[in-house]
Amino acid sequence: MIVVVGLSHRTAPVDVREKLAAGADALPAVLARLAARSELAEVLFLSTCNRVEVFAIAPPASGDEGVDAALRAIREELARHGGARSGDDLAAYLYDKRGDSAVEHVFRVAASLDSMVLGEPQILGQVKEAYEAAVAAGALKGTLGRCVTRAFAVAKRVRTETAIGSGTVSISSVAVDLAGRIFGGLSDHAVLLLGAGEMAEAAARSLGQGARALRICNRSFDRAAALARDLNAAAVPWDGLDSELVQADVVVTSTASKTCVVTREMVRRAMKLRKGRTLFFIDIAVPRNVEAAVHGIDNVYVFNVDDLEQEVARGMQARQAERGAADAIVAEELARFLAWTRGLEVQPTVVAMRAKARAVFLSELERSLAGRLKHLAEGDRSALKQMVESAVGKLLHAPTTRLKERAADGEDARELAAAMRFLFDLQELGGASAQLEPVAAEAEDERLPN
Amino acid sequence: MTLSIVNLLFGTTAAVYFSASVLFVADLLGRAGPAGKWAPRLVAVGVPLHAAHIVLWSIVLHVCPVEGIHFALSVAALLTCFAYVLARTRYRVDVVGAFVAPQALAFLLASRFVGPVDDEPRLRSALLPFHVISNLIGIALFTLAFAAAVAYLLQERRLKHKQFAGFGRLPPVDALDRAEHRFLVAGFPLLTIGILTGTIWSREIEAGGAAAIARAALSYASWVLIGGVLLLRAAAGWRGRRAAFGTILGFGLTLLVLVIYLIRSLGGVTVSGGPA
Repeated sequence: MIVVVGLSHRTAPVDVREKLAAGADALPAVLARLAARSELAEVLFLSTCNRVEVFAIAPPASGDEGVDAALRAIREELARHGGARSGDDLAAYLYDKRGDSAVEHVFRVAASLDSMVLGEPQILGQVKEAYEAAVAAGALKGTLGRCVTRAFAVAKRVRTETAIGSGTVSISSVAVDLAGRIFGGLSDHAVLLLGAGEMAEAAARSLGQGARALRICNRSFDRAAALARDLNAAAVPWDGLDSELVQADVVVTSTASKTCVVTREMVRRAMKLRKGRTLFFIDIAVPRNVEAAVHGIDNVYVFNVDDLEQEVARGMQARQAERGAADAIVAEELARFLAWTRGLEVQPTVVAMRAKARAVFLSELERSLAGRLKHLAEGDRSALKQMVESAVGKLLHAPTTRLKERAADGEDARELAAAMRFLFDLQELGGASAQLEPVAAEAEDERLPN
Repeated sequence: MTLSIVNLLFGTTAAVYFSASVLFVADLLGRAGPAGKWAPRLVAVGVPLHAAHIVLWSIVLHVCPVEGIHFALSVAALLTCFAYVLARTRYRVDVVGAFVAPQALAFLLASRFVGPVDDEPRLRSALLPFHVISNLIGIALFTLAFAAAVAYLLQERRLKHKQFAGFGRLPPVDALDRAEHRFLVAGFPLLTIGILTGTIWSREIEAGGAAAIARAALSYASWVLIGGVLLLRAAAGWRGRRAAFGTILGFGLTLLVLVIYLIRSLGGVTVSGGPA
């Protein structure tokens, strides 16, 4: 059974989340510790800035007690990793899910339906990185691996079949989007950062990436120089603001000034020297840094923090409207996956039944070949063996198919499997662990198209 | 047989331009979905069909395609579509097709309803092909400049009013402004050639009358206006809105010249001479 234990932005503050987070360096050691726990058959560790979660498989033979033991083991390992004395110290922040709801959770996380910013695209990449790390550590063997790869397909469906990823939902992305509406790309345009606050830095990081040049102008030149080093930009003195307005195409303002630092008159002068080239201001300062009248100048556009936040709210609203359609896709995919896993539950019985039938027939054949049929040539002997193999396959085809169909439909497959084991006196080969064998899982893949 | 092929080509071209127009409008209204990307492609499909129609029709009628107003309309539409197909990816102005396709359809249909060319020997001149060809290509380029200017004003208005919805349907204002300027720069020398050849030719044939004078006056006015737009942009940085309004007015004047031609032709007196 798939289980998940973790915490997220919904349940834990950032100081708790950051204690449990594991970067790429620490991840192999954490995975190794988790994989070494006998209570866990497969493990995946997902660590992002908004969530830390451990997905695992509780050994199937262990029943409900095994599931509880698996959840306890994960809590203990998380506590150890986070420096807590026991899992109880984190109990207030941790949640756990098991079975169907755990699978649904995996799908929802990958599809960004459980993210802080609904529909944000980064989470899928982060889940893929976690998956690759778990595969590299040998911590994924079958069912959990299939569940996570299925989650990738679910996420892809959600993104392509709904508009969950549409619209802009952060100040930075709205600023980048607006720059695109005005200039197309920024590869031929220069960005000027006025002030060196955190918000401007975030916007500059987004805008500056594709820009021809990024320059930072701040009252404190040292602060501008420090940020310029960080952003691979150029620092310019505050006195040169007038000439910078002539050079720049996009100006991001975020100074702490109580009065406007960019006036209509300054921009009019700059526009004359710019020969009317378009100038775009993103004013994210409160109080505003750019006079409202600047927006009235031809070829000059000023968007302040309220304008940007309105668009963010619109984007969020549009994404929320898509939630229902996304939920429906998750529900549909969950049903398909559960049908597939139920098929796996009867797999050991099917394997045992086929093995027993084959063994009985072949043993009888061997006896005959050693007795009354010992005169047969080698060719005839192998023909007889082939005939027996074929007869076993044909005889057991119908019960095998029906058992799997019942399992997929969620009907009385367990009872049927138990009846078969009783009637044919079957000892399951390798016990229930047979259901985790990747080979067996792949044999069932036709039920679960990618 | 040839005539039925001409009719088939005419019908197919009209259908293609009509489909493109519908898709462009639907795309602008946000209702075309993925089909919207087919609108510019349909214009590209229409160009060879349209060209084939003009060539075959001119063979059937034994008329040079640059003579007569009915062909001139059709050729102007063809050249506009051709210039659009060449320019749309380079200048990222797909949306200009929303004007180009309906205009091409209108000109194509109009070319069927204008009276036959009056091949009056008095009007023949060595300057005629230069005059007509430069005017037709010039009209094609000014049409694109006009469409880019209109799209610019729409997008600029949205930005100034901070209306985010529907932004995505139109190209960036900067791209539209640059495209409009380039179309004007390319069209202006052709307009100049058209006016020069038209002036010389009208003296040769001693053209007169109110319509010819009005046409000449409007042609000179459009030349001054478009030249002024280009000059002010280079010298005083008149870009954006002012340049867009100047372009729209300049195109309006050249269109008026064409309308005077049409009125004269429909009135049964086809004199395709004049400054432009």
